[in-house]
Amino acid sequence: MTITRRNILKIGGAAAALPLLGSRAFAQSEPLKVGFMLIGTVNDNGWNFGHATGAKFMKDALGDAVAEPTIVENVPEGPDCERVLRELAQSGHKLIFATSFGYGDYVIKVAQQFPDVKFEHATGYQRSDNVATYNARFHEGRAVCGTLAGHLSKTGKAGYIGSFPIPEVVMGINAFVLAARKVNPEFTITPVYISTWNDPAKEADAARAMIDQGIDVIAQHTDGPAALQVAEERGIVGGFGQGADMSAFAPKAQLTSIIDNWGPHYVEAAEAVIAGTWTSGDRWPGLKEGEVVIGPYNESIPADVVAAAEAVKNGQIDGSFNIFTGPINDHTGAEKVPAGVTLTDAELLSMDWYVEGVNPPA
Amino acid sequence: MQFRLEKRPEPSKLMLYVTPVASVLLTMLVGAIIFSLIGYDGVGAVREIFLTPLTNSFKWQDLGVKAAPLIIIGVGLSIAYRANVWNIGAEGQYVMGGLAATGVALATYGMTGWWILPLMMIAGIAGGAAYAAVPALLKTRLGVNEILTSLMLTYASVQLIYYLVRAPWKDPMGMGFPQTRRFAADALLPNIIPGTIVHLGVPIAIVVALIAWFVMSRSVFGYQMKVVGAAPHAARYGGFSENKTIWLALLVSGALAGLAGMLEVAGPFQRMVPGFPTNYGFTAIIVAFLGRLNPLGVILAGIVMAITFVGGEVAQTTIGLSSSATGVFQSMMLFFLLAGDILVRYRLKRVIPAQEARA
Repeated sequence: MTITRRNILKIGGAAAALPLLGSRAFAQSEPLKVGFMLIGTVNDNGWNFGHATGAKFMKDALGDAVAEPTIVENVPEGPDCERVLRELAQSGHKLIFATSFGYGDYVIKVAQQFPDVKFEHATGYQRSDNVATYNARFHEGRAVCGTLAGHLSKTGKAGYIGSFPIPEVVMGINAFVLAARKVNPEFTITPVYISTWNDPAKEADAARAMIDQGIDVIAQHTDGPAALQVAEERGIVGGFGQGADMSAFAPKAQLTSIIDNWGPHYVEAAEAVIAGTWTSGDRWPGLKEGEVVIGPYNESIPADVVAAAEAVKNGQIDGSFNIFTGPINDHTGAEKVPAGVTLTDAELLSMDWYVEGVNPPA
Repeated sequence: MQFRLEKRPEPSKLMLYVTPVASVLLTMLVGAIIFSLIGYDGVGAVREIFLTPLTNSFKWQDLGVKAAPLIIIGVGLSIAYRANVWNIGAEGQYVMGGLAATGVALATYGMTGWWILPLMMIAGIAGGAAYAAVPALLKTRLGVNEILTSLMLTYASVQLIYYLVRAPWKDPMGMGFPQTRRFAADALLPNIIPGTIVHLGVPIAIVVALIAWFVMSRSVFGYQMKVVGAAPHAARYGGFSENKTIWLALLVSGALAGLAGMLEVAGPFQRMVPGFPTNYGFTAIIVAFLGRLNPLGVILAGIVMAITFVGGEVAQTTIGLSSSATGVFQSMMLFFLLAGDILVRYRLKRVIPAQEARA
């Protein structure tokens, strides 16, 4: 036998499986092992918390059909995540969720070595036979938040703490300011990119700096509640929970929250793997399907403003309203989308331009 | 009752070598007890973190890949620390080495040839050494503490990555994600064992450590480093220039950190990303001390440290131990080592108050 990648994997795989044979031989339908790889910790009260909640939801819904989900925290976007993915695949996990954008290259690479394991990459764009992608239409929630901001902001200026200028983030900024400008045509937003998904100190610093420059509403596309806590402390109009309800950290400042409800998707994916019907593809549900949920509104918000926000929410649910329907100008004022035309999903997923009202970061 | 530390006239040679081993064993013991007390499977945690990576042959490749940069940087630091030059900024020098190599890889994109990798290697070494030259200059000319300058330069280097991958070096195909394009085939480290992830950097790490051991124990350079560190006055008397030693120590440790950066970016990363700084430069400080500032010891220490990283992930997947546990184990190891060092070099003596002695 020559030494090839395949043979080494075979030998190694056989060796790794040996001790398990005893128990495997008798258990025909043993519970499905599902692994989750997170970029932060489950107690970040935001993005990662949302995925952990989804994992628990899956376990509760499927009971003995799935094993207690395995969650690996604090996995950096780099070669370290490749090792974790292999570790999960080798230890018998047949369904693995990789929940950060930067895992993409490595998911594809490891998936080639484990054709019988299904991988799902959140927010990614690279797929293969056993790698699916899934995401949520967060920008629909951003349109609701932007409507609130347009009504409530006194300075007409919002700050937006982003991680990286990837389409998913750019889309959220654009949806937010488009909605705000439908209420207040002078509304502007200033994004700041902090090059990380989770660094409470950096998030708080960025929030303070922007408040000092006159913004009174803040939104963030990072994982934790740090920016909201600053908003609470400085007494500005407010901000929004991202990924989960963060009102515990900012009872006055959280106007509402965009809650990621991954649970139903995790149940569906696990059921498909158990039934053997899982196929690769891209899933991108939103408010309508209940994967994006708008949390409770702060009781300080006037009823007519809540009604306006609800109208935007319900319009997106019944399909009568789409935030990315023209006319839309880019940040220089040139027309980008003509009146009546709606951007397609493909156009959204490659969005690299800002709409009017965004002060593009240097 | 009071105690005083009293310097031992001659620290036991045996104990100097026993303490690193003892601190690893103590870490395992105390770790098992602590984690059991707070309601985890403590013994299981120790088994998964320290033993599984060794017993599962699937994990060996991970150990090699994780240990290689730690060993290369740790060897450089152990040379500098021998000379009492406290280069804390290996992380920054590692980043600059990686960036310099990336620069070559991007400039030669579209070209082919065997010369690209060696050129990247030279660039990486030069980048790391040049970045370490800044603290050396400040220390020798202005007397600025190298601990502060080298540490602070690390943060500057990280900002430089952010700048480069966002604008001039951004991947045209990256969907706006701040990263460079994937390097061309000739700018990537070859795999030395087919079917694994073991790249050329692993044997290079061993060779670097062996050369460093030979140089430190057999050459005038090594003697100079050790004498200046151990007995500065005697060294000056003997004609060794202190400034020259500071320069050499920083340049060598910076160059090796830069080499590690080149190997990482051309090996596991395959492109420059904002997540490139992964604390190898800081972890290597523990590795250098755990390895007794001896290049051969650094090889072992690098492997031990890699075990805790790889094992930490195993423990997360198998027994659900939080990722912070890895940090706790690594910190305990350094704590026991440093505490052990104190007791090897000093003895604890009870101070008997004067009146009590009279009575």
